[in-house]
Parts: sequence; structure tokens; C-alpha cells
Amino acid sequence: MSTPAVSLEVQLGRLRLANPIMVASGTFGYAREMAGLVDLARLGGILPKTITQEPRQGNPPPRTVETTAGLLNSIGLDNDGIEAFIERLLPYLAGLGPAIVVSIAGRTADEFTQMAARLDGLPGVAALELNISCPNVSGGVDFGVNPTSCCGVVEGVRRACSLPVLAKLTPNVTDIVSVAKAAADGGADAISLINTCLGMAVDWRHRKPRLGNVLGGLSGPAIKPIALRAVYQVARAVDIPLIGIGGIASIDDTMEFLVAGATAVQIGTASFYRPGVSIEILDALPDALTQLGATRVADVVGTLDVETK
Amino acid sequence: MTDKQSSPTYADQAWQGVTTIVENVQLARDTYRVRLRCPEIAQAVVPGQFVMLRLPGSNDPLLGRPLAVYDVLADKADGAWGIDVVYLVVGQMTGRLAGLAAGSLLEAWGPLGNGFPPLPAEHLILVAGGIGQTPFLMLAEEALGRRRFGNPPRKTPLADRVTFCYGARSKDYLAGVEDFQRAGVDVRLATDDGSAGHHSLVTELIAPAVEQSGPAVRRIVCCGPEAMMEATAAEARRLGVPCQVSLETPMACGIGICFSCVARIRDASGNWDYRRTCVEGPVFDADDVVF
Ligand SMILES: Cc1cc2nc3c(=O)[nH]c(=O)nc-3n(C[C@H](O)[C@H](O)[C@H](O)COP(=O)(O)OP(=O)(O)OC[C@H]3O[C@@H](n4cnc5c(N)ncnc54)[C@H](O)[C@@H]3O)c2cc1C
Ligand SMILES: Cc1cc2nc3c(=O)[nH]c(=O)nc-3n(C[C@H](O)[C@H](O)[C@H](O)COP(=O)(O)O)c2cc1C
Ligand code: FES
Repeated sequence: MSTPAVSLEVQLGRLRLANPIMVASGTFGYAREMAGLVDLARLGGILPKTITQEPRQGNPPPRTVETTAGLLNSIGLDNDGIEAFIERLLPYLAGLGPAIVVSIAGRTADEFTQMAARLDGLPGVAALELNISCPNVSGGVDFGVNPTSCCGVVEGVRRACSLPVLAKLTPNVTDIVSVAKAAADGGADAISLINTCLGMAVDWRHRKPRLGNVLGGLSGPAIKPIALRAVYQVARAVDIPLIGIGGIASIDDTMEFLVAGATAVQIGTASFYRPGVSIEILDALPDALTQLGATRVADVVGTLDVETK
Repeated sequence: MTDKQSSPTYADQAWQGVTTIVENVQLARDTYRVRLRCPEIAQAVVPGQFVMLRLPGSNDPLLGRPLAVYDVLADKADGAWGIDVVYLVVGQMTGRLAGLAAGSLLEAWGPLGNGFPPLPAEHLILVAGGIGQTPFLMLAEEALGRRRFGNPPRKTPLADRVTFCYGARSKDYLAGVEDFQRAGVDVRLATDDGSAGHHSLVTELIAPAVEQSGPAVRRIVCCGPEAMMEATAAEARRLGVPCQVSLETPMACGIGICFSCVARIRDASGNWDYRRTCVEGPVFDADDVVF
């Protein structure tokens, strides 16, 4: 049985991807780590771990703790800063082939625009993802919880560079739709949904939090329904493409996000417990699209039927 | 050491897949040995490296668990075909693993980590607390010239003598002592309750072992609970013997992509930074570790 030709290309605003399977920031190192386990060239996009203007040591361990079907983390944006990234990590990433979407986090709106300007035009940088949603950083402004500040950061970055811009949002808000609309108004090419859900774990016998940082971000299969809900709600409210993130670990998970309204997906925590999962999903994608009679990804995006009983 | 965001020991040799349990037997109290058929890992692993093991088809527990490779099974026809992992039942995954019968499947990826560097030592002194003994059998077999590991098999300077100082809570927790004796290792025991060997901390066995070999080139290698590794590092410094420790930092991925397994490691200038033990370790020079 031969599958009819299926096109996997997707368009996220000004960013074109060979396929919709990306790997999420902070869950794939700087890609070099995975060279022995994943055929990196085949991925649709790679998001290296978020970088900041200055080096950050990150939070004290324990930085992760497992919970039921999930993982709590408080890594704290441990990284060597933007200059070390450009000098030592970007050259390798640039040679891999897939779109390299550089994830940046600033403490202020100015820091976001400075970092965007610095990365603009560098060989290998295909787009930026604005991490305005990390729950582990104190001292910074939570741009992602407020529509006005979210819009402002996206606008500033758009003005500072010519790169496509993805805004990555936090689910830890009362109304994610209003923040997403603000990101779209600010000029985002696409919206990434979601970052981790704020949570905690307690060791009652010692009356201690299990995480060094007390609170952390929950990821993994446990948060998939929350992420699907966010994609579904936002898809009905904005016109720009969405990228689904949260608990994706199989082709079924991936298809659920596409049907709910995502144009592409990012694989996160699943790479920790199944290192080759991103390519397994990619291999299964043409067949799954064919099952729905689709010949390209866009044919299934947002086709969820909520009317018919 | 290289800069923080790169490591010479990424999982480039690692294989990922489903392995079959060939046998799963109890060795001591709460302690089991599982034998896995996985030629890819068996052929590549060197002493001190570890694998990540995970129960298939279950999201609870979700993550793999890091476990040292205890031994490599090989025969004339197939070469290296399997690995032994010795584990202590402490929680969810190890508890379920203990209940799995031969024929059951496990997900695995490895070999991972740097392993023990092939440094010269006429007298190699292994110091283990509890289940920390697991990475030492292969190291001893290699140092005594009985086995070679890795693909291609790595060359290591040979030792004239290997002493194994092994401490446990009590006699019934001691596992694999005969394996070490069969390999030609001089085993010295210590237990917290005096039920076997010396009624003392294992660290008290180090100085007598060191003094025994006269003016030889010595090296201490240690694995166990953090306080015990710290005490061993201090003892090694006092005795003027170089020492490496293998850290047992909890890990979420084992392959360098999550940044959760960090330990405080000194650089050449004496400042410390958080480093990933799964790709830059688990073996470090004791003097570089900030306990
Ligand atoms: C490189 C490396 C090699 C290891 N080799 C071996 C080995 O050969 N044999 C062996 O038995 N164990 C080994 N360990 C420890 C082993 O990984 C843990 O015991 C295991 O993850 C426990 O899993 P669990 O699901 O049974 O326990 P969980 O349910 O996850 O935890 C049970 C309890 O153990 C604690 N715990 C979990 N992980 C660790 C850890 N890494 N260190 C200290 N406490 C922990 C938890 O905080 C909890 O209190 C190694 C660890 C590392 C990092
Ligand atoms: C250990 C860890 C580190 C993370 N680091 C980052 C980060 O640096 N930047 C970022 O934008 N998201 C980070 N995330 C969030 C993921 O990119 C992703 O949004 C989230 O984990 C949900 O997806 P998942 O359930 O598939 O993991 C991190 C997640 C984990 C588990
Ligand atoms: S365990 Fe994930 S980086 Fe070491």
C-alpha cells in the first residue's frame, strides 16, 4: 500500500518549516547533545535552550522532581549568555539544516529588543521565540501575564529586527486569549502555546518542598489537556498560526493539537524519556494525515468539529 | 575541562531501544541484578558509564532512571551481548523492576557519561558505600587485565593490585562480594552494625589500604552517598593520593538536555559553576567537586 504524496511543509507567518515537528526550548539542550540519538537534519525546527543577555547560574538543585505523569522543573534559565551562544553554539546549529528558532528571555523590554537586534542577520538564525513565560525567573517582569506588556515586548522586537517572531505564552493567566490577541496585535508571526504550568510538590514527612526553588513548572503528559484547551481557545480568537506544546509524546498527541488548531508542534519533556520520539512522530505523520484524507498539514489544522453530535 | 555548554562525552555512542530481561535475581537484601540483552550497549560501554532504564508503556513513573553498568556479558559466538545492572529497591521504578520476570521488556538508552578515565595506578583503591559499588567490578576487571571494554576496546594502564573497601549498613546488604574476589580483588568490608568486616565507617579502611602498598603510584576511586564521598575525598587529600568520585546526582534525561543533574564543579581558576553530571560526569576529580 503506498501513501499518496503528502506535503509536510508549514508556514508560520514569515517562517517556513520543512515539517511541523519542532523540539521545544529547554528540553533539547543545544542540539549537539542529541546528535547521536536523533537525525537532527530531519527536524522541522530546533529551539535551543533559552538564552539571556548575561550568563545565569540557574537555580540550586534539586531542579526537577517527577510527579504523576509529569515533571516539575525550576532550572532557572541556566545559560552562559547571548555572546557565548553566538560564539560557541550558533555555528554548530547553523550547519544542521532545520530552522533554528532562538529562544530569548529579557528582564526588561529593552533587553528583549537588544538581544533581538544582536541576533538579527546572523547566519543560521531563522526566527526568534520570545520566552515571556518562564515561571522560574525572579527579578524579571512577567510580560506574558499582561496583554499590554506582552504587546509592547513583541512590538519592540519586531521593530528591532527583521526576523520572524514567535511569542511563547504562559498558561498561568486568567485569560490566555487576551494575551494571545495582544501578541498578535504586537506583530507576532505565530504564538507558541504553552510554557509550563506553575506547580509544586511537597515532602510532608520532612515538611519540605521537593524542589530547591519551592515552585516550579509542570510539563509532560499531565499538562496536555491544558495545552490543548489553550490552543483551541486561542485558535478561535486570532488569525495567526499557533504552535502546540505540552505533553506531546506520540503521533496521536500531535494530530490532536493540529486538529485543535495548531499549525506545528514542539516536543518537550518526551525527549527526556524517549530521546528519539521527535523523529518517530515525524515518520508517522504522513500516514496520519492520509487517514484524514489530507495531502498537506494545513488541511487538518483547526478542523475540530464541535457542532455535530 | 571545556566550557559549560559542550562536553567531550555526549551520548554519541548511545543506542536507544527496547531490551529483554534475560534474568532478574536477588543478590542481597533489597538488592537485585537484572540481566539485559542489548548488544549495542554491551559492546560500547566502558567502566563507570551508566544506562537509563524505563518501564515501557507507563507514564508513572514517567522518566528513565540512571543505573550503572555492573558487568558485560560476552561469549565466543556473539561477542558482548548483554549487560548486568545491580540495583537497590528504593522507590517506584526499582520497586516495579524487582517484580519483572525474564522475558519482560525494558526501554533503555546508553551507554552514557564519561566513565572512569584510564589513568595509571599500580595500586587502585576502590571505595564504595552501599549500592555505590556497582560501577567498580568492570573497573577492577579492566585494571587487572582480565577484561577490556569499549568499541574499539580501550587501552588502560594495568594495576598490580586492586583493593576494594566496601561499606554497607549490615551484612545482609553486601552484594557481589564473590564477583570481586573472583576477579582477583582484595575485598575489605565494613558495616555500620559490625555484622561483617570492620565495625566502622568504610572511610576508616582507606588509610590502612594505602599504607600497605608502600611507595606505589596509587589512585582512589569512590562512589556512594555524598557525605561518604566527601569524607573519602578529604582522606585522599590527607594521604596525598589522587581521587576520583562518581556522583549519583538525580537525573531526568541522562543525555544532557534538561540541565537538572547539576553539581557544583570548580574550574581551573577555582570558581565553581553548575555542571551537568550526566554528560560531564558522573566521574569527576574529587578536588573539583564542591560538596
Ligand atoms: C550515574 C548514576 C548511577 C547509578 N547507579 C545505580 C546503580 O547501579 N544501582 C542503584 O541501585 N542505583 C543507582 N543509582 C541511583 C538510582 O538512579 C536511583 O536509586 C533510582 O533512580 C531510584 O528510582 P526509583 O524510581 O526506584 O525511586 P524514586 O521513587 O524515584 O525515589 C525514591 C527515593 O530515592 C530518592 N532518590 C531518587 N533518585 C536518587 C538518586 N539518584 N540519589 C539519591 N536518592 C535518590 C528519592 O528522593 C526518594 O526519596 C545511580 C544514580 C546515578 C546518577
Ligand atoms: C526541564 C525543562 C526546561 C525548560 N526550559 C525552557 C526554556 O529554557 N525556555 C522555554 O521557553 N521553555 C522551557 N521549558 C518549557 C518547554 O519548552 C515546554 O513549553 C513545556 O515543557 C511544555 O511542553 P512538554 O509538556 O512537552 O514538556 C522547559 C521545560 C522543561 C521540562
Ligand atoms: S539528566 Fe538531563 S541534563 Fe543531565
